[in-house]
Amino acid sequence: MAFFLEALFGGLMAGMLYALVALGFVLIFKASGVFNFAQGAMVLFAALAMARFSEWAPGWLGIEDKFLGNLVAFVLAAGVMFVLAWVIERLVLRHLVNQEGVTLLMATLGITYFLDGLGQTIFGSDIYKIDVGMPKDPVFLFESIFQGGVMINLEDVYAACIAALLVVVLSLFFQKTSTGRALRAVADDHQAAQSIGIPLNRIWVIVWFVAGITALVAGIIWGSKMGVQFSLTTVALRALPVIILGGLTSVPGAIIGGLIIGVGEKLSEVYIGPMVGGGIEIWFAYVLALVFLLFRPQGLFGEKIIDRV
Amino acid sequence: MSKVIGDVILDVQNISLRFGGVKALTDISFNVKEHEIRSIIGPNGAGKSSMLNCINGVYTPQEGSITFRGQKFDHMNSRQVAEMGIARTFQNLALFKGMSVIDNIMTGRNLQIKSNLLMQALRVGPAQREEEAHREKVEHIIDFLEIQAFRKTPVGQLPYGLQKRVDLGRALAMEPQVLLLDEPMAGMNLEEKQDMCRFILDVNDEFGTTIVLIEHDMGVVMDISDRVVVLDYGKKIGDGEPEEVRNNEDVIRAYLGTGH
Repeated sequence: MAFFLEALFGGLMAGMLYALVALGFVLIFKASGVFNFAQGAMVLFAALAMARFSEWAPGWLGIEDKFLGNLVAFVLAAGVMFVLAWVIERLVLRHLVNQEGVTLLMATLGITYFLDGLGQTIFGSDIYKIDVGMPKDPVFLFESIFQGGVMINLEDVYAACIAALLVVVLSLFFQKTSTGRALRAVADDHQAAQSIGIPLNRIWVIVWFVAGITALVAGIIWGSKMGVQFSLTTVALRALPVIILGGLTSVPGAIIGGLIIGVGEKLSEVYIGPMVGGGIEIWFAYVLALVFLLFRPQGLFGEKIIDRV
Repeated sequence: MSKVIGDVILDVQNISLRFGGVKALTDISFNVKEHEIRSIIGPNGAGKSSMLNCINGVYTPQEGSITFRGQKFDHMNSRQVAEMGIARTFQNLALFKGMSVIDNIMTGRNLQIKSNLLMQALRVGPAQREEEAHREKVEHIIDFLEIQAFRKTPVGQLPYGLQKRVDLGRALAMEPQVLLLDEPMAGMNLEEKQDMCRFILDVNDEFGTTIVLIEHDMGVVMDISDRVVVLDYGKKIGDGEPEEVRNNEDVIRAYLGTGH
């Protein structure tokens, strides 16, 4: 039982991290109808910025305190993500108003490669570490119930809490504010949104900035876990099945999809793995995504698209 | 109807619009007076929608100017147009399909919402009151268009005729001075057309909104318009009161062909 719980918790925490990356995709898709291929590159870019600024900032400003240094680095990295959003709108999106979704998709593919290169040119291509003071040691729960208790990584718990907080803030923003409504409107129809006076350009900067912040948070958490390195971009690949499962248009879907995949991976690895020689964790998510594509292509919570003939 | 027609509010002067070698509009001039229902008619491909898109700022004409309330523009800009109080509906529905009827119409109020993001997100004090005030206006529009029963329905699931009403509702939510309607009755059955006519007349009557209407169904237009512009192949071939236009030789030829 304790062993099961341990695997379950491990899965939930890993799932939360997948969800965090998936959230970036969902945000941009919900708010501009673009499937942003560059989300993974943005995670790396943001994490690189964060890692390097936290190294440099204390030197520039003479800050001794570690927390303050990290805070300054976070603000600077957020600033970089804002400039990035502004530049992307200015140079790419502005010229593609009213174009097909697939055109925009290809554009984000271009942005991906550009960002990969730019990030490493500016910030360097070594492995850097981010240390925001998240505790590394495991804790043991329920020691009175199970022998030896259930081991949980405190770091994972922190990460999950941060992710949950982010989701709450974003949901409020999307559902309760007029800007959120404007974002959803732009996603559905550019021309109509313009006709009621929604400034398309400003909305796009906002969306990409919000996605940039999500990428930054994901980058910090993943980066502090496994170091900031090029392989962070592949984290985005992990988020794809999550989106398929949860539905591309649903914020709660991204979270629950992430959790299902995290838990599914862990449990199947632990219980079915030994029978087939292991390695299930690597492909489990993708097979699950395939099954969903066959039977429920809009995902668990996505909007069902009905086309009238 | 004993309504008072005011001064010229929108004046279109010598507009020409080309797409490469195709002349969509050639030297079109006409004006729209306050509180009137002004129609632009013409056969398919006459340039009616292009004209509307020039006024709305979607297209930029190569020549000519548009004067709105005494202010002269070489070309319009969609957002500016919305801020000046010109709203529009679309020929091919352009609604926010995933959003409910009420949210669609609420987007029309977006320009008017003043409270800041944080206050809105937390629903505190003034932001809450503001949201309620806007919501009340939207409810009024929903009552007016008789779509109370579909408030929460995602518009993508509504039948065509009702979607057209939501489109009109969203434009009305902007409380426009001038309302541009692009074929509001296209693809409707007789009953739906009559309903739509009634709404257009009521909007004009109750709110005093100036209406510019594009339509190719002559019958409808003649019944509800104060004045009519007729376009054919991007040129203006008639302008005046419905009776006048109906008897115009060029107009008859354009609609019925030369054989008659």
